[in-house]
Amino acid sequence: MERRLDGEACTFCCYGCCIAFQVKSGRHEEWEAAWLLIQLGVGGFLSMNIMMFSLLLYSDAFTGVDAGVLPWIHFLLWIFATPAVVLLGGPYLREMWLNGMQGRVTSSALIVLGVAAAYLYSAFAVFEGSTHVYFDTAVMVLMLFTVGRYLEAVGRARAARDLEPLLAAESESATVVDGAAEIRGPVREVSAGMLVRVRPGERIPVDGVVVEGESNTDEAVITGESRQVTKGAGSKVIAGSINIDGPLLIQSSADGTATRWARICRSVREALGRRSPTQRLADRVVGVSVPLVLALGGLTIVYWAQSLPFDRALLIGLSVLVVACPCAVGLAAPMATSLGIGRLARHGCLVRDPGVLETLARVRLLAFDKTGTLTAGKARLVGVYGEEVGFDQVLARAAGLERLSEHGLAQAITAAAAQRDITPLVTSDVRTVPGRGIRGSAEGRPVAAGNGRLMNDLGWPLPPSLAERARSLEASGHSVVYVGWGERVHAVLSLDDSPLPEAQAAIAALRKRGLDATLLTGDLAQAAERIAALVGIKDVQAGLSPEAKRLALDRLRHDHVSVAMVGDGLNDGPVLAAADIGIAVGSATDLARETAGLVLPADGFWMLPWIVDVARAVRRTILANLMWAFGYNLVALTFAAFGLLQPILAAAVMAGSSILVVVNSLRLERLPDPVPALMPAQRSDINVERTHNVSGISAMAGPAVGHDLATRGPLDP
Amino acid sequence: MFYYLVIFAAGFAGSFHCIGMCGGFACALGRDQRGGGATLLRHLLYNTGRLTTYCFLGGLAGAVGQVICTTQGVAAAPLFNGSLDIAQRILAIVAGLLMIAMALQFFGLLQVFHRLAIGFGGSTFALSLRSLVTARSSAAPLAFGVFNGFLPCPLVYAFAAQAASTAGALPGFLVMAWFGLGTFPAMLMMGGVGRILGPAGRRRGVRLAGGFILFLGLITLGRGLLPSHAHIGLAWLGGHST
Repeated sequence: MERRLDGEACTFCCYGCCIAFQVKSGRHEEWEAAWLLIQLGVGGFLSMNIMMFSLLLYSDAFTGVDAGVLPWIHFLLWIFATPAVVLLGGPYLREMWLNGMQGRVTSSALIVLGVAAAYLYSAFAVFEGSTHVYFDTAVMVLMLFTVGRYLEAVGRARAARDLEPLLAAESESATVVDGAAEIRGPVREVSAGMLVRVRPGERIPVDGVVVEGESNTDEAVITGESRQVTKGAGSKVIAGSINIDGPLLIQSSADGTATRWARICRSVREALGRRSPTQRLADRVVGVSVPLVLALGGLTIVYWAQSLPFDRALLIGLSVLVVACPCAVGLAAPMATSLGIGRLARHGCLVRDPGVLETLARVRLLAFDKTGTLTAGKARLVGVYGEEVGFDQVLARAAGLERLSEHGLAQAITAAAAQRDITPLVTSDVRTVPGRGIRGSAEGRPVAAGNGRLMNDLGWPLPPSLAERARSLEASGHSVVYVGWGERVHAVLSLDDSPLPEAQAAIAALRKRGLDATLLTGDLAQAAERIAALVGIKDVQAGLSPEAKRLALDRLRHDHVSVAMVGDGLNDGPVLAAADIGIAVGSATDLARETAGLVLPADGFWMLPWIVDVARAVRRTILANLMWAFGYNLVALTFAAFGLLQPILAAAVMAGSSILVVVNSLRLERLPDPVPALMPAQRSDINVERTHNVSGISAMAGPAVGHDLATRGPLDP
Repeated sequence: MFYYLVIFAAGFAGSFHCIGMCGGFACALGRDQRGGGATLLRHLLYNTGRLTTYCFLGGLAGAVGQVICTTQGVAAAPLFNGSLDIAQRILAIVAGLLMIAMALQFFGLLQVFHRLAIGFGGSTFALSLRSLVTARSSAAPLAFGVFNGFLPCPLVYAFAAQAASTAGALPGFLVMAWFGLGTFPAMLMMGGVGRILGPAGRRRGVRLAGGFILFLGLITLGRGLLPSHAHIGLAWLGGHST
């Protein structure tokens, strides 16, 4: 149904949601929200009076009541019932009318027709002087449905509670500093380059760089991990993180609408707006069942009217209409899905499509990309091999050249030198040779670092022992850089990408949950197998082009029911899209990846087992809800059709059924938070080890590396 | 009739408890800008809403009691078919014990029970009603009163139990109506003049209410436990007979 609120057209799935939105929402006039509660309250007052009179009529106190008084009591009931039916039934009538105009028959039609039949029959009876009226049924059915829907809507609001801080913050304002003036305005009006003041406790409104001030920030909503990060002048800050304890002046690096934060919000909103396959199926079932129920109600009346008085037959028909209202079916999937999406979003995991959770719960195989997914995606220097040269000599020359390059391998070499306090040699005439390496001169002699082709081009001989070493290193999947000076090659550097410290534990945890893992990579087979062995994956397919990866995935999908592809998204677009679910991990800059259905935060790999748990819990909840809702409808419908269920009881159980679905879904809130597969202490040890990776190489890279930097012996002059 | 007067008196004494719990709402409804008459109407509507809910709950509890105890007036068979007297006695014992438990916590005992009773959904409900207090519509106080009547309250539970023990919709309705009327004067005054009693005075009032509820609880329990000819309680009070 559509309503205009604050001049804006808002669409609601039902009357109950509209109530909850207005009662909960701070956007609207206070009295407007109150008006809806007034409707419920006044409706309650009228219906309770009707119930009291009706109870008295039903009870022994009025048995044998004076026949002259009875019509007056009936008239009084009509007086109370008429405004109650108008007040409480109006929204359902409007809903039925609007849907009817679009050619749809929805559950509101069941309520309206049932209530209208009971009310009109009773009103006719009052003026005809008949002995039976059913105003209590008409009004209490409406009242129970309205209260039930209100409670459902409050449940939905609770389901969205996890998302509230996320989505509410999108509309927050920012303080823009313009000279001496500070102007507070909507975030969307902030453009790149503007200065923005963020006070302690505020959410940072835009991505940017700190210009002034120092403070701790909490980036949990972006990174998924709640820890304080100190930011000072020159530090980058991310929109959506919380400024904890100091004022900051930041220069915006993006428009307010283009921040990562805004993209997250949009993506979550879109996901909530879509319908999952189960929801769509439930919608279709409801669409078909409503006309069928209407027909069944009509048939029931006709059948019973042959053996019972018409009013009793009408009442049985009314029970059929009321009890068949598929409110709980409509709620079963969305409630659980919203709770799951909210739960994941609170830990920085973004679901881009509500169907993802249901599919993930069915997945039996996870295919992983290697670089950037199972590994950090950054090369590390893991070995230096030389002939008659010193370790420091080699690194000083290599770093002297490489510090001027942006290449990934160059950065790894420079970082290794810096960590060991080796001063890069001053080099001049530095020139990058594309596809080969870099060269220049130091201490008056030519110096070069690069691949074998560069050394060939230069005509520098390669000692046989180094050539042999380089071959074996390449065969085991390492990257090799030759370093030479004085017109000959003196050393070989081996570089490698090592697995994420948490990958092994995460994959073991997934295996425990019955999920197989496979590695699909474009890298060399040896490198892929080494990483796979370290993280505990047996099945490896290496040397695959993006197209070959997609074909490999198709084959896997053929063998398994559902396959999820986990990739860092940089070059995995096609394969992420081709999988049943694409899961993008790694680089936070890829949050808005179009092809992945689920986006994990930068350090979120370890959360995979927990996400699978959440997805399975959501699926279990949806199935339980649907089984309950359909089962209830079927059983209750049978009872009603046989005349064994009073309409008021039918309405009460119907409302109760919806509330049960809500309560069952809210159990998802009690799911435990994700726990790192590795204990925090272990994680921090490994981080330290990675930071100082020079001394931790042998442990990480395994025995394939002969001489590591920690055992400098063979290289000492 | 005397029975209902005791209920009224219990309601009146209990309203000192209401002042503590619901008085804030009455005060929040406050005075109407349009003058004394409008203020009185506002508070009458609020209390009428509250009373309607109490009467409804009473009638409902009585009807439930009736379903349990008797076939009269309802189509369904009683749960304890053929043992009418036993069913009614069990109901009286349960209701009596419940009332005694409520009374004890009015004396400051069984506080856990009190917290349970108050805590159940009360805060969420009260929060939703916040906007009703300030709403301009003249129907708002009525709606507010209706919702207020449903707020979890040990006093209401106690009298609902009493209403159930009457095993009839009409006597159940009357029990809660007299109880509600008993709370009328104090709550009406709260709206007009704000706080009328200090904390010490309220404490004494709450104890008095506890005394009444204990008295009614013991009588109800007696109806369940004592032999039929010793049913002095209701005979003496001149109350209903079921």
